[in-house]
Amino acid sequence: MAIPLGYIFRETRGNLRWNVTLFAATIVAVWVSLTLFGSSLLIRQGVEQATGRWQGGIEFIVFMNADASEAQHAAIRGALDENPEIGGYDYVDQQGAFNEFITEFADRPELIENVTPEILPPSYRVKPTVGDADVIEALAAQFDTRPGVRQVTLPVEVIRTLQQNSQKVSVFVLVIAIVVLLAALMLIANTIRTAIFARRQDIEVMKLVGASNWYVRLPFMVEGTIQGLIGGALAIPMLFLMNNLMAGFVQEDYLELLRSLVVDSAVVWNTSLLVTGIGAAVGVLGSLFAVGRFLDV
Amino acid sequence: MIELDQVTKIYKGEVLALYSVSCKISKGEFAFLVGPSGSGKSTFLKLLNRQETADQGSVWIAGKEVGALPRSSVPKLRRLVGCIFQDFKLLPNRTVFENVAFALEVTGRTRQQIRKQVPSLLELVGLSKKMHSFPHELSGGEQQRVSIARAFVNRPPILLADEPTGNLDSDTSNGIMRLLAEINKRGTTVVMATHDQHIVNAARRRVLRLDRGRLTADDAQGRYA
Repeated sequence: MAIPLGYIFRETRGNLRWNVTLFAATIVAVWVSLTLFGSSLLIRQGVEQATGRWQGGIEFIVFMNADASEAQHAAIRGALDENPEIGGYDYVDQQGAFNEFITEFADRPELIENVTPEILPPSYRVKPTVGDADVIEALAAQFDTRPGVRQVTLPVEVIRTLQQNSQKVSVFVLVIAIVVLLAALMLIANTIRTAIFARRQDIEVMKLVGASNWYVRLPFMVEGTIQGLIGGALAIPMLFLMNNLMAGFVQEDYLELLRSLVVDSAVVWNTSLLVTGIGAAVGVLGSLFAVGRFLDV
Repeated sequence: MIELDQVTKIYKGEVLALYSVSCKISKGEFAFLVGPSGSGKSTFLKLLNRQETADQGSVWIAGKEVGALPRSSVPKLRRLVGCIFQDFKLLPNRTVFENVAFALEVTGRTRQQIRKQVPSLLELVGLSKKMHSFPHELSGGEQQRVSIARAFVNRPPILLADEPTGNLDSDTSNGIMRLLAEINKRGTTVVMATHDQHIVNAARRRVLRLDRGRLTADDAQGRYA
């Protein structure tokens, strides 16, 4: 039997009118929980994005022999330009290497005295486009045997550690997000259940006069959906606020670390939509389960 | 119309509510169900609208075995079996009109039909003027009349009444009894659980007596004691 829309609308309106505080409490529960869940998701995305940047920032260095010929240099540059896995490179000539040397050993003048630019190797600081340690290692190996190359150094250990750590952080944040979501589900289901518990006698009467289960359920589900949607929608400005606060910190140069955690607004919007969708789903399922307990009349 | 065949009901495996009860109640009959508290009267009624199911034996309503109905058919059964209760069970947030209309609404009646049928029912129970009152604004007798109107609005062939006069004074009870007799006269089978002996003795109707779950007497024009 079709259930008239007018009935659902009137029942839902009635539920809202007679249960304003519980209705509001459910919305607040959804709001707070989804803000926490959304924040965890944003942090996770921030961490992943930051990992990408750190990994992208890792470079390997191709040291040339101090006496390498211009032809050998040209061959290296050509190889670097052609390789799609290389995003770019900086050339540090002997004078540049000397300047770095001076800076690095400023407190040891006896070393500086014995060094001239001519004996220092010029180098290419190469930035790969990929972050994977194995790929970078293979990439570096291609240059190791080329004529004029003295040595290729690459921070494979650093990359590996970074990869492992960022994976750990990412998994950790995901676990937190899931735990927060589970807590949110329970909180929301409990609030809805309280609201429905207050109306269990109504449900009993409805069932006794011959209402089908769907007839009883639907208005509650619509109510739950509205609560979930409102709670989810309220969480959106909170997510933007959080992201903007972090951006603000960065501007004020408080915490350099947070710079990488700021994601752009498209990511926040996507997360917001996801969070609102989850809100609606939680509202529907929460009321479905909560009503179910009282339908057995 | 109603048939119980060797029905036994035991709550939680230990509390015996009904034991091997068999009886038939025909279409259009008015039957009292009497007995002390805990004798199984309410359980008897609850088996008829599938609020409970029998542990042994079978319950038949209009040729269908109630216990064997799939869950999805229970709402249909309940539209055949109107119910009134000692505590009225009205929806407190709805007016008299809305309480009665609800029973029509769940059966898919249109608003026009509802607007037509509810006032005539409220007239039958004498509450036309209180259509827009809320239950808490009514006396006990008036609330019971609303609940009778709600139970009868679908014109069910069977009406179950569980101590409908239990909370009412004797004058009000007599009014409710006249109403139930009127409904019975229109063809509805009425089964009423009560321990009000004055009412039973005055009515001279069929009396089924339960004692500790057993059917101990069945008199066509019985008395309470």
